[in-house]
Amino acid sequence: MKNLKYIFFSVILLVVQQVEAQNEKGRKGTFALINANLVTVTNGTISNGTLIVADGKLAALGKDINIPEVAEVIDCTGLSVYPGMIDGGSRLGLTEVGSDARTRDYNEIGDVIPQMRALTAVNPSSVLIPVTRISGVTTSLAVPDGSLFSGTAALVNLHGYTPDQMYAGFEAIVLNFPSTGKRNRWDSRSGEEIKKDAEKALKKLNAAWDRAVVYHEIDSAIQAKNSSEEMKYYPEMENLLPVVRGEKTLLVEVNTANDIITAIDWVSDRNIKAVFTGVSEGWRVAEELAKAKIPVIVGPVLSVPNREYDRYDRPYANPGIMLKAGVKVAIKTGDAENVRNLPYNAGFAATYGMGKEEALKAITIVPAEIFGVSDKLGSLEEGKVANIFVADGDPFETKTQVKHLFIEGWKIPLESRQTKLYDEFLERNPGLKK
Amino acid sequence: MTGLKLALMHRALLVLFLGACYITSLGQSDDLDPVTRIYAIKNAHIIQAPGRIIDNGMLVIKNGIITAVGQNIDIPAGARVIQADSMYVYAGFIDGLSHAGVPKPKEEDKKNKVKDPGNPPNNIAGIEPQRDVRDMLDPNDKSVDEIRRLGFTVSHTVPYGRMLPGKGAIILLSGDNPDAMVYKQQASLYSQLAGTPGVYPNTIIGVMAKYRELYRQAEQAKAYKSLYAQGANGMERPASDRILEAFYPVIAKQIPVAFKAEDVLSIQRVLDLRSQLGFNLVLADVKQGWDIFDKLKSSDIKLFLSLDLPEMEGQGKSDTIKVDKKEPLKLEADLEKKRLQARKDEVIKKHYQQPALFSSKGVLFGFSTAEAKSKDIKTNLSKLVENGLSEEAALAALTTSPANLFGLEATMGTLDKGKIANLVISDKSYFNKDSKVIYVFIDGKMFEYRDKPKTKKAAKVIGKWTYSVEGFQGVNTGDIVIKGEEGNYSGTISSVVTGDTNDLSAISVNGNQLSFSFTVVFEGSAIEVDIIVTIDENTFEGTMTPGEYGSFSIEGEKVPEK
Amino acid sequence: MKKYIIIVLPLLFSLIVQAQQKGSVLIKNGTVLTITKGTLETTDVLIRDGVISRIGKDLNTPKGTRIIDASGMYVMPGIIDAHSHIALDAVNEATSPVTAEVWTGDAINPLDVSIYRALAGGVTISHALHGSANAIGGQSETIKHRYGTVDPDVLRMKEAPRTIKFALGENPTRVHGGGQGIVPRTRMGVEAVFRSSFSEAKQYMQAWDKYNDGKNNKGFKGTAPQYDLRLETLADILRGEVIVHCHSYRADEIYMLMQVFKDFGIKKLVFQHANEGFKVAPELAEFGAMASVFSDWWAYKFEVYYSTAYNASILHKNGVVTSINSDSGELIRHLYHEAAKTQKYGGLSDDEALSMITINPAKQLGIEKNVGSIEVGKDGDVAIFKNHPLSIYTIPMMTIVDGIVEFDRKNDADDMRIYADPDETIDVTLYGTGHAGDRCMQDAQFLFYK
Repeated sequence: MKNLKYIFFSVILLVVQQVEAQNEKGRKGTFALINANLVTVTNGTISNGTLIVADGKLAALGKDINIPEVAEVIDCTGLSVYPGMIDGGSRLGLTEVGSDARTRDYNEIGDVIPQMRALTAVNPSSVLIPVTRISGVTTSLAVPDGSLFSGTAALVNLHGYTPDQMYAGFEAIVLNFPSTGKRNRWDSRSGEEIKKDAEKALKKLNAAWDRAVVYHEIDSAIQAKNSSEEMKYYPEMENLLPVVRGEKTLLVEVNTANDIITAIDWVSDRNIKAVFTGVSEGWRVAEELAKAKIPVIVGPVLSVPNREYDRYDRPYANPGIMLKAGVKVAIKTGDAENVRNLPYNAGFAATYGMGKEEALKAITIVPAEIFGVSDKLGSLEEGKVANIFVADGDPFETKTQVKHLFIEGWKIPLESRQTKLYDEFLERNPGLKK
Repeated sequence: MTGLKLALMHRALLVLFLGACYITSLGQSDDLDPVTRIYAIKNAHIIQAPGRIIDNGMLVIKNGIITAVGQNIDIPAGARVIQADSMYVYAGFIDGLSHAGVPKPKEEDKKNKVKDPGNPPNNIAGIEPQRDVRDMLDPNDKSVDEIRRLGFTVSHTVPYGRMLPGKGAIILLSGDNPDAMVYKQQASLYSQLAGTPGVYPNTIIGVMAKYRELYRQAEQAKAYKSLYAQGANGMERPASDRILEAFYPVIAKQIPVAFKAEDVLSIQRVLDLRSQLGFNLVLADVKQGWDIFDKLKSSDIKLFLSLDLPEMEGQGKSDTIKVDKKEPLKLEADLEKKRLQARKDEVIKKHYQQPALFSSKGVLFGFSTAEAKSKDIKTNLSKLVENGLSEEAALAALTTSPANLFGLEATMGTLDKGKIANLVISDKSYFNKDSKVIYVFIDGKMFEYRDKPKTKKAAKVIGKWTYSVEGFQGVNTGDIVIKGEEGNYSGTISSVVTGDTNDLSAISVNGNQLSFSFTVVFEGSAIEVDIIVTIDENTFEGTMTPGEYGSFSIEGEKVPEK
Repeated sequence: MKKYIIIVLPLLFSLIVQAQQKGSVLIKNGTVLTITKGTLETTDVLIRDGVISRIGKDLNTPKGTRIIDASGMYVMPGIIDAHSHIALDAVNEATSPVTAEVWTGDAINPLDVSIYRALAGGVTISHALHGSANAIGGQSETIKHRYGTVDPDVLRMKEAPRTIKFALGENPTRVHGGGQGIVPRTRMGVEAVFRSSFSEAKQYMQAWDKYNDGKNNKGFKGTAPQYDLRLETLADILRGEVIVHCHSYRADEIYMLMQVFKDFGIKKLVFQHANEGFKVAPELAEFGAMASVFSDWWAYKFEVYYSTAYNASILHKNGVVTSINSDSGELIRHLYHEAAKTQKYGGLSDDEALSMITINPAKQLGIEKNVGSIEVGKDGDVAIFKNHPLSIYTIPMMTIVDGIVEFDRKNDADDMRIYADPDETIDVTLYGTGHAGDRCMQDAQFLFYK
């Protein structure tokens, strides 16, 4: 009898919850995640621990933690808590429907356009964002693309109604390093032509850079003299200035082995805070990368080898090979609508030599460090931003389900258009007959 | 300008251009008729056919026919005697597939703009089997002499085009007019697995389907036509269709389809069409057949291997695989490069070894030059011999085999009495890579390719030369002194009139041509003077160009060294 | 260095086989995922002359049989990809809205290293589909990944029935209507193309029937219709001799084609992609149409904006035979992982998930009697994995086709090309970026550059 009552009660509860679910919004508050397996990433794993989320931060975590009275308690028995995953490079927010140019906002006109800011164009209402975050990816770097200096990338948290609400504290200038590889399967340029094109692009790059150096010298001189002289309005140079001064990170997209070597020389000649991205042939020159102490954001891991004669699993093994050589390795998807597959990119890297632990770091603490936001993101540590997800298993395992999600302390409903379509159509009503 | 005028100008330009070509060799006797049509080639090493050799032999040609071959033959009266001591005489080579004699069509620069790309006019779709290569021949096209001077006397020539460019012909690489060249008209229906950009059939799958359909339609139309011929009354009149009619002789097995198929996949696709449709097949310009040897052998096809071969980088520098034992390779990347080079060399080698392989397996094949650059062909033949093809087999593939494959053995392929006087004479064994073709006879007509004395070698310019120029102020004389070494010359020029000596700049020697510049100051302004002269041993002649002041003749001679 | 040469050179020769081969292997002590008959622990699978001849414990080793120790490993049927464009020299004959006469079987390229890469993901069979540029595209070929031959015939799966590619929506309307000003420019036009094509084919059949009936009569003067390969093919579809695989996205267009097929009495229908198939799952199930879908691709064009990764699960739970495909030289390398996504999105069981890349695609290609599960009498196509194939930590270790080991992670060389390119510049990287893209519109690009 008692049991029956219980069942009756829970049915009502369920109904209430479902009604609520239709218009569920993110909620800010104090939450206590108890009986959880806390995978801190930086300080090992705490089993059967408690984690307090308050004021958007991880207020406390550990084994014997006092649960504030106001806290909403969430029982995480059998579940694990992870820091939100960070995609080290994507187009998420900058594009909606890939084939429709009207929804593409990552490729402005011009070769040297560092002043183009991704943060401006990130669409907080993109349908792609909820689809992504409910898989545990809480943060991603939105990267402009398509030219030499293609703009300023921005790190965003995947929740908020304005770009500023989403901004996660890091911007960087993007450089697509002149490539000596073929662009795609249909690139019919000969080896000679490719080389020539790359040389031309390198000349252009150097010319732009030299100008930026002059800009920096004049600007420095003016400042040193406390002169009232003003620099001419020159947004390209203004935006390269902090890169020249080593204050702002330069994200160098570079993939083929030869280009990586050239880029290493180019960067080390100039004393730049550089991060290499893409790096699909990093495995060929891992030692050199390690020697140059340049961190990399590699990806997509789920890609085909660059060359016909490359071993089939090179892209899977690439992150692990670089890591073993001593390179600091983060992972990116380079995707937009399927940034949700970030854990699988990391999972393949883990399987093919990187190992579980390091692969998890490559999408949490390592990108946070590379982006200079490791005081806020990338691990479960007291005082950090509450970007976390709770899962019923290993986050890399395909069948694992995310059970709870917090971004900047907001409890986010696990809902997207894709889940709503599932709810609506699993048992369509009307079915065959109306 | 009228069309006629344009044509005449075109002709004039062509003559000019051809003239320029002929400067480098004595070429043919051109427009003048030969004094006689009887030739006696004397004291030659005559290779009548592969393995049939006459030393110190004589070969007599009369009115385009070989009338006698052997030793101890009398020189007929009225014969022009060719002293061929130590020379090698072979039957003229037969090219299994080329465009020799067909002027290369100009690139179509404008896109084929058709209303319905799925249903384009036949000529745009590249479906023109009704065309005949005879209508395109030009005996003076440079493509004729390009392979003739290599020893080719007969070619299976086909039109340019795409999927079905037209009918091919067996032609002699000589003749006063197109008809005079033709030995066998409508020798083949030429086909390629080539689609047309932007319209149907565009890709290989379109071409294959279209080919099948046309063939089946032609069979159907042909059968109906013969029914109609038996009793037309009451029957719908068969439509006339030049495209389909072009297939009739193929269907009747009167002529073969000639397909160009180079790579291993194209070849097999052609074989598929053949086994489905059942035509007789000439398969030409084959490059990659070594792994499908059995298919080729069992297919009863007339096979021609391409003389276009991939570049052999490894040749000469065999160090591509060898590694310096003292210095171990540091980078995995270097090791990888070596491995890749080895694989590439291996596949290149397969191309070169293919004729030897086919020969050892007893397959009859000839050679074709359609895709080959003429300057590479002779070297490539030598390389094939270096890679295991016996000289006899190579010769067979150039002479007897193609003659057999095309059914020309009654009149061509060997140096036997009664055959057409097609022959090639070289100073050494033809397959010796230093050998040179001296004479080619086609249809009894002689072409002489004796090179002029070598002029390529850089002239000796170092030393002291005296010169004289006739300028508008009378004759100027002086000395030119050139020092240094090849590629790094320096020098001075002095003038008796002015008493000045100036340094030379930009001294360059190209063959027997010497050019240099110097600067003189004339009425306050610097004038750059360019001199270009042609050196003939110890003298030179040329022009001197002082800036914009016209140009003057200059000549001079070398001051003998002590 | 010398060592390297010794290793590399013999391989060059051993790579190439002349004819189709059948092998014999005994796979011992694996966890056998039969798909149709459950999971068998510590079980042996014996393949003799290319066919699975016994499944059981402690099987004897017949003479001449290679033994493969699969202890601790998972043995599953070779993976089947119902939608791929690898090993093809041409994908689209995009010049006409109807090209039923063309056939990708004419463009098979056994030298494509993508075949090996697919094998390295456990894939033994793929459906080499024509592209989606045309409403009625080309006939397609089911190939077995018998890598190591230069002979396209060796790859053909002779037992497979004929298939043809159709396409709905943006691709055909963009190529022909948008690009050339030829019907179809809309989804209405696409339907009209089908109806007119099949009507024409019907008339063609009738004309031939009439001719064939009369031709033996005395004094017959009739004329046969001109042989038309396109109409011949369409007629074969009407006769039920060809399985139609239709590129589709939106629910309405999927529904439309089923209506057209009902009107013309065509039954064999598989929808490819069918991103909105879930919306008409009951109708698909009723028709008996099947669906071959992406695990999670969406939003790359407008007609896939309203997709859900739960598509496969919804279809499956509504009784539609559903497979997960690749349409990509990249995805084909990890279809096992793509299938696992049906567990994330919809919670399918292991067997259900694995059936999406084995027995279900086999049904869609009409080859379920030959392949798609580990059963006695079926082809010896097997993939062996370290860790469960649905786990992210799985690693394909060995792939066997007709009893021949075609992929062996432990022993294969890095460079598995069959022919090196004699003209290649070794230093030039094929792709400067990691993106390869799908090839559904390959050979149709030229139509957009105007």
